[in-house]
Amino acid sequence: MGPFLLKRLAQIIPVLFIISFVIFALVYIAGNPVALMLPDDASQEEIDQLTASLGLDRPFIVQYGNYLLHLMQGDFGDSFRYNTSALPLVLERLPATLELAVAALTLAVCIAIPLGIWSATKQNSPLDLIAAGGAVLGKAMPNFWLGIMLILLFSVTLGWLPVSGRGTFAHLLLPAITLATGIAAEMTRLLRSNMIEILSQDYIRTARSKGIRETLVVYKHALRNSLIPLVTITALQTSTVVGGTLITETVFSWPGIGQLLIQAVNTRDMAIVQACVFVIAFLVIAMNLLADVLYRFLDPRIKYD
Amino acid sequence: MKYAYLILAVVGLVLSGCGGGTAEEDTMALDEGAASVDENNKTLTIALGTDIVTFDIHDHNNTSTEAVHDNMFNYLFKRDENNVIQPELVDTFTQIDDVTVEMTLKEGVTFHNGDTLTAEDVKFTLERVATDETLQEYPNYRQIKEVDTIDERTFQIITHEPEPSLLHRLSRLGSGILPKRYIEEEGWDHFLAHPIGTGPYEFKEWVRDSRIVLTPYDDYFEGPVEEWDEVVFRIIPENSTRVSELLTGGVDIAVNIPPADWDRVNGNAGTAMKSETSNRTMMLILRATDGYPTADVRVRKALNLAIDNGAITDSALRGAGTPTKTRVAPGNFGAEESLYDTYDYDPEEAKRLLEEAGYGDGFEMTLHSPRGRYLQDAEIAELIGGMLQAINVSVNVELMEWSNFVEMRQAGANKDAYLIGLGNSMFDGAYSVDWYRSDRFVGQTDYKNKEIDALLEASAVNMDQTERAEQLKEIQRIADEELPHIMLHQETVNYGVNDRIDFVPKMDEMIYAPEIKRK
Repeated sequence: MGPFLLKRLAQIIPVLFIISFVIFALVYIAGNPVALMLPDDASQEEIDQLTASLGLDRPFIVQYGNYLLHLMQGDFGDSFRYNTSALPLVLERLPATLELAVAALTLAVCIAIPLGIWSATKQNSPLDLIAAGGAVLGKAMPNFWLGIMLILLFSVTLGWLPVSGRGTFAHLLLPAITLATGIAAEMTRLLRSNMIEILSQDYIRTARSKGIRETLVVYKHALRNSLIPLVTITALQTSTVVGGTLITETVFSWPGIGQLLIQAVNTRDMAIVQACVFVIAFLVIAMNLLADVLYRFLDPRIKYD
Repeated sequence: MKYAYLILAVVGLVLSGCGGGTAEEDTMALDEGAASVDENNKTLTIALGTDIVTFDIHDHNNTSTEAVHDNMFNYLFKRDENNVIQPELVDTFTQIDDVTVEMTLKEGVTFHNGDTLTAEDVKFTLERVATDETLQEYPNYRQIKEVDTIDERTFQIITHEPEPSLLHRLSRLGSGILPKRYIEEEGWDHFLAHPIGTGPYEFKEWVRDSRIVLTPYDDYFEGPVEEWDEVVFRIIPENSTRVSELLTGGVDIAVNIPPADWDRVNGNAGTAMKSETSNRTMMLILRATDGYPTADVRVRKALNLAIDNGAITDSALRGAGTPTKTRVAPGNFGAEESLYDTYDYDPEEAKRLLEEAGYGDGFEMTLHSPRGRYLQDAEIAELIGGMLQAINVSVNVELMEWSNFVEMRQAGANKDAYLIGLGNSMFDGAYSVDWYRSDRFVGQTDYKNKEIDALLEASAVNMDQTERAEQLKEIQRIADEELPHIMLHQETVNYGVNDRIDFVPKMDEMIYAPEIKRK
């Protein structure tokens, strides 16, 4: 386990390096932020002056080298819009995003595990069909639309929950449901098909033939093996979750990284964009690593060489 | 033992859920002041579409940021409800010569930390913005040469040249007076995190992209504001969310309500739309560069006559706009009022002019327009395309995302025409008509008119305000004949407002809490 972890950690470095290059190159291609930063009537002189003071007149490779040098010291540059260092701004938002993501993932798991088991054991029953249909619907609904519909129903029409903002548990509920719906749907479908496959395997038949109670067969023998792919999917869903938070946070004015990133893209605040994307990429990588480790716990047969 | 891992995994997931729970509790305390529907609630909540840029009042160029600052800082002068400039922090003032004004501050004005406002603070503030080229507001204050302090409350503002717009400059964005001692002792970073001014409200907290909270300043020189215990500006970028917050009573005022939602806001019990003419004019900027059909004044006139401004304000804006032939609207210094609230529309005459200019069979042109920047901008551009089709001018409407649009303009890549909305925070017509100055847009519009250039040069240093106003009016009349730009309409600002408060929107888009009352 020790060498494996070290090896995986070592792999992260080149990945982050590639990510830094891609982010920088994309931002470079996206164009010059100077135009947006100056008033309508800025003179050419003012434009040139600002371009030079931001170092944007230097060749790509020099700009990237500089960027990388600062990056290694944890410095993502200064936000044009806020005139302060970018990374602290992003990290300041991290708790809000994590709160939303964790709540959504937990909610998704809480929905998906019972629903998936139920669907698999009562295969092709009317209840299974409803669950399967619900999963397809849940997957198909865009976050944006779902969020607005939930606001219209629970906040505007019924008046039960606040429309937007962050603070109480009530504030968390609608965005978490919005974000969890698609993930829960994906997980339910996966768990169901895995479980069906496992329930038809020899060792399950053996267990049943030994006269072990059905609940024990399902929960002791089948569920554990079905959970392994669920761990993978949970890890893979992290990127979906983060992508989903971009939209969900905007709809619900949730002050997390997603909202910060969208505002930064709109104003071409590139240091913030870069820092946001970097932090998000790091989160996804970390989640994947965690999944690999969790695998090992769930199934000691999995070897890491 | 085998199950231990499974249990561990599940517990891990559950625990992470609990982690979310504690995070919620941590922040719960923060939000206790949030608005509720309670009638006696003395919290005023305003939903903005974008966060403020900064508390550095000199380093932004953003009206909605100023709308928040306005509650915390005072200017030396301020426009009253009729847009007449009145002293605010200044008690008396006299023009000593063409480049010198002497002013005395009011007595008993204090900053939020208790320090008394002195002439030194004025000197510190104005000389900073007048000399630091890196500040965004520098171009609007570099006309000031220096500020000489005479005594505690008396100072002289000296300009490089005669500066007829000085009071306009001192009554707008970028001229809030800063506390010299506080900033020098604590540093800029501290000021930006804990800003203080002399205004009716003082800073409580700013959670970026979430909210700004202000509380009344007890020692305000005009007496504390007792109407509100707290003013909260919430940042809600998504239009439909902002509207929903208004409908549910979550906020008292919501800015920029899109036309599609006006009926919902008016139809909902307890909320209504309030609109006011803004100081922003929508217009088409034409290319007068040789080789473009729009270089011919007859073509420009034809395009103007083919556009039905009234139809645009009626259909695309649902009545929320005033057709105009000048961008200097009433309320601005030097407005030529005969050109306001009117328009020319005569498609037959337009066809005749095209014929005369040699474009009897029409021509093809490009119209750039931003999408989502101004009220109904893309719809307006499409409508204009359709209207010009009627005189055989076929228009390629190119809708652009705002940042691309800005870049296109800056690069001089604009074609025959582009749609833009321009405001004027100075409320001085000089800044609007300056767009006709020939050396300003070389390579962009290439419009030249010697007569206008001469009038601009003369008016810029003319301290005789009556004569200066007449010069500005003359420029507007020439522009209406020459049509370097085709004026469309004056936009309105559209707020959704809760019935529990009295709110009168203002032309300058400021949201000044002391003037907002509970019913």
